[in-house]
Amino acid sequence: MDISSFFNTYPGIHIVQAFLHSLTATVIADRSIHAWDIKSPLIRQRVRLIVIFVPIFSYPLYQLIDPGRSSISFRLGALLDSNRWLSLELWGKVPVSIFFIVLLVSTAALFLVQELIPILRHTAESKQSELEWDHPGEGSPVIGVLGDLPVEMPDIFIAEDANPVVYSTTGNNPAVFLTTGLIDSLEPDELRAAVAHEIAHIRRSRKPLLMFTYLLRVLQFFSPATLVEFRKVVEDEEKICDDSAVEITGKPGALAGALEKLRHGSADNIEGDNPAEMLRAIERMSHDMLIRNRIRRLTRGDAAQAEGSGWLKFAATLAAVLMINYFIV
Amino acid sequence: MKKKLFGFLSFAVTVAVLVGMLKVLNWLPTAIDQSTIRKYPSIEAVGAKLGIREIYVPSYFPATLGWPPAEILAQSKPFEAVVMEFKRPEDGETALIISQSARPEFAPDMKIRFTEVTEKIPYALKGREALLEAGTCNDRSPCSRISWDEDGTRIRLAMQSPPLELIRIAESMLR
Repeated sequence: MDISSFFNTYPGIHIVQAFLHSLTATVIADRSIHAWDIKSPLIRQRVRLIVIFVPIFSYPLYQLIDPGRSSISFRLGALLDSNRWLSLELWGKVPVSIFFIVLLVSTAALFLVQELIPILRHTAESKQSELEWDHPGEGSPVIGVLGDLPVEMPDIFIAEDANPVVYSTTGNNPAVFLTTGLIDSLEPDELRAAVAHEIAHIRRSRKPLLMFTYLLRVLQFFSPATLVEFRKVVEDEEKICDDSAVEITGKPGALAGALEKLRHGSADNIEGDNPAEMLRAIERMSHDMLIRNRIRRLTRGDAAQAEGSGWLKFAATLAAVLMINYFIV
Repeated sequence: MKKKLFGFLSFAVTVAVLVGMLKVLNWLPTAIDQSTIRKYPSIEAVGAKLGIREIYVPSYFPATLGWPPAEILAQSKPFEAVVMEFKRPEDGETALIISQSARPEFAPDMKIRFTEVTEKIPYALKGREALLEAGTCNDRSPCSRISWDEDGTRIRLAMQSPPLELIRIAESMLR
């Protein structure tokens, strides 16, 4: 089977259309956020989720509505017919489809190296961890600090470790995990803000939406637009939890202070002798950029701005994405 | 409110610009390469512009169909293909689609869409092994389809009629 005939099979057409549909959806979603000056991370995330959800389903959905959409006559009247580009040969020799395949493979490699492998490595490392996690004792200062948080408290676990670490797990037994290094390095208000942020994650993660979003993102491992937009969705998720933490504690400065202490201060340069080290340095640096962005936002007071539900903007964006993508084949 | 309206206007302009850009992107390959699929005014023009040596045309044509073809589509890349669409003069409905292509999977007869295939049989068409299908189309009217290979080219006819008329047309395309 040659390349151009693969792009005429059902999986081939699905990949091509998911790729193109995610590109147009990204442009429309980003312009929508810009046009309405949407600042609320909740609304921004909702708009960006269109890019993750729509392209993977659009081709089978459109075909179900109109089987004639794959016909030649439809393609001739379409806004963009991918076949015209994919069957093109530059200087009569080099097929454009080769460049397209290189782009798909590069994106898949990027996904593997920057997302999947770090997740697997992190999972393996956390399984090997020898930290012993215990509930704080009756007279623990942590209980005193967190006791007055106006929310239902999940289980709290503490481990003896100098590294400042805080994270949460969700599911049937949600819990927040803190190291003594973190407790020692944060002021009481900052500790409260950090735990409130984790509680926000626990509250939101009860919804299976984010897990489903990640599954869809994994299925679109070949799409560069999905790669970029999913990262923005994750960034928005952090900001949503920041806003929730500020709502609980009423102190954005305390959360900004906690983030400042937790960020990787040494991640400003990409250095390393081997590719694996370089990769970790890039990971640290991008993580650090995200935290600095969140600190800036909390310091500016953006978290306090109310903006309405934004459903009309979401509906207009979704309608534009669905209508335009229908004519991209 | 004013800000909201400006937002909608700005968004509408963005969508319009995007549509314009997509149209340009769609036109660009046809400007670079003339051999991708497009409409042609006549069968002669297809032969002259694309250099397709043999274009299969029926010599028998029922009076219920209009001649010349209402639409001719053709390409020489990524493979040679010609599609002719014939309409009924009285209602302007597509009643016959004749296609030929260098790839057997090329099936451009979506406008005559079978809802049910009731019979699928091998048929000896002037010494060629053809596949004849009969059934019904969208509006429950009888439809039929026949396809065979001719010198490495897959020929395919789909018609809104019982198979008898279709076979007569197909036979008239062969020497």
